[in-house]
Amino acid sequence: MASDLITICVIVVYFLAMLGIGAWASKKIKNTEDYLVAGRSLGFWVFILLMIGTVASGMSLLGVSGLGFKAGWPTIWEQIFVPLSIGFCIIFFGVKLHNVARTAGYITVQDYLAHRYESPTALRSLSAVAGIIVSLIYLVGQYSAIAIVLMWLFAIPLWLALVIATVITTVYTAIGGLYAVAWASLIQSVILIVGVLIMAPIIIFYAGGFDHVNTYLAGVNPNLVMPWMPSGAFGIPYIVSFAVLLMVGLACAPHVINNVLAIKDVKYFKWAPLVAFLIYGAAMFLLKFTGFAGAVMVKEGVFTLPNVPNAGDFVILYGIQNSMPIMALWAVFAVIVLAAVMSTTDRLMLTIGAMCSWDIYKKVLRPDADDKTVLLLSKIVVVLSALCTMVLAINPPEMLAILIWMGIGVMLSTFAVPLLAGLYWRGATREGALAAMALGLVTSLTFGMLNYVKASLLGIDFGKIPLHFSAYSFVIAILAMVIVSLLTKKTTDKVLEETQTGWYISKQ
Amino acid sequence: MFGLPDITIIAVGGVVLVVIVALIYWGLTFRGHD
Repeated sequence: MASDLITICVIVVYFLAMLGIGAWASKKIKNTEDYLVAGRSLGFWVFILLMIGTVASGMSLLGVSGLGFKAGWPTIWEQIFVPLSIGFCIIFFGVKLHNVARTAGYITVQDYLAHRYESPTALRSLSAVAGIIVSLIYLVGQYSAIAIVLMWLFAIPLWLALVIATVITTVYTAIGGLYAVAWASLIQSVILIVGVLIMAPIIIFYAGGFDHVNTYLAGVNPNLVMPWMPSGAFGIPYIVSFAVLLMVGLACAPHVINNVLAIKDVKYFKWAPLVAFLIYGAAMFLLKFTGFAGAVMVKEGVFTLPNVPNAGDFVILYGIQNSMPIMALWAVFAVIVLAAVMSTTDRLMLTIGAMCSWDIYKKVLRPDADDKTVLLLSKIVVVLSALCTMVLAINPPEMLAILIWMGIGVMLSTFAVPLLAGLYWRGATREGALAAMALGLVTSLTFGMLNYVKASLLGIDFGKIPLHFSAYSFVIAILAMVIVSLLTKKTTDKVLEETQTGWYISKQ
Repeated sequence: MFGLPDITIIAVGGVVLVVIVALIYWGLTFRGHD
């Protein structure tokens, strides 16, 4: 697709708006707390749209429709469990973390882990390093998505698309911190939701309508309109592991869970889970339906996808190009996709900045470092993380969804057990948390890689395992936590009371 | 309905309904503390 002047203007206006938010937000930054948790001042809608923007990633537009294009209705569960991850995060992590963070002054979730497990150095460092690794994996997927859109829109080489995307996102994130990320996400999420609600029905209508799409898919392969596949990927066991992966894995992802520390009032948690689920769920369902519509249009010969390994990720772009033959609208749609991707990318970079500057530098290496130095280091790390992932994204994977799920799988295996056990089980110990986190990280990275290259280990063919690979490493992490905790010294009652540890969500 | 088998409507619709009811229950019963 070739660009014209209107297209360039639309994209430039969007980018300038994001840079403007960064410049405005930078004036509000007085210290590290302002930069990393926006002075704990986020209101109801800013918080909800920040959560949606953080969870709605490159996969939300390109990957979701790409997967729907490839495998049909059995993949629809993604559209329930991803929006539900926001509610899970708020209910099972957010309420308690927020209540404790107010008095304990947490900046990151690593502050909580260090406090709860009485491990100011070891667990904090391991947690931060693990967080940086999983955030980088996830970030590569986001930059790949931005590059796909810019390549499609401007017909420019991948490296140039990556440079443009990286520079814009990095500048407003580095100068404006979470204030910029939150307000940019508010605008990006509104653009994403309104854009999808308007454009998805047009694509589905152009493909012949919802009934026609489903009837056609059923004619091609009856399994494409069933709620699950008979076996293998998207069989019932796989879907159950998929539910845990998306709902719990995304909820405990460092870039998502840290948002709960920035809300102004805990009462916002009352209706936030329902509102986020309804808004984001509606957009996600429509996106999946556009993937189905794209599959029908490709099979009917309306358009052909490019001859690239990740062709499925292009289906929504080609769908919009054919159903709306007005170039200015393509540019608007490109802004919608960019908004979805950038709203996750900026939060990820800020999270990596926080883990490096606050958790590793300030809390472990240089406790006497002044606030100005920590703030400067945060900004430097944001820039470095962007450069690092830009280089990694030059060779995008076959399907965006696979890389992003791998990132979520590692997050689930690494963080879910220490967090859930820490919040709800008084018997969980420092050594148990260290074992669970280390084993979860190492086994999920190993299983994920073996699954991706379809290799065997110890007689197990990882290309044919019935569950998502993260389910196995998640179970290993649970076993490590329980066994090691039972064998080691308990956490003091003082700390358990301070961190409100116990089988309740909030003290009544 | 919608060109889909009943099992798809019931399974997907049922899970969505259960989720919405659960989140409404959470909203009605949550009394957050600060």
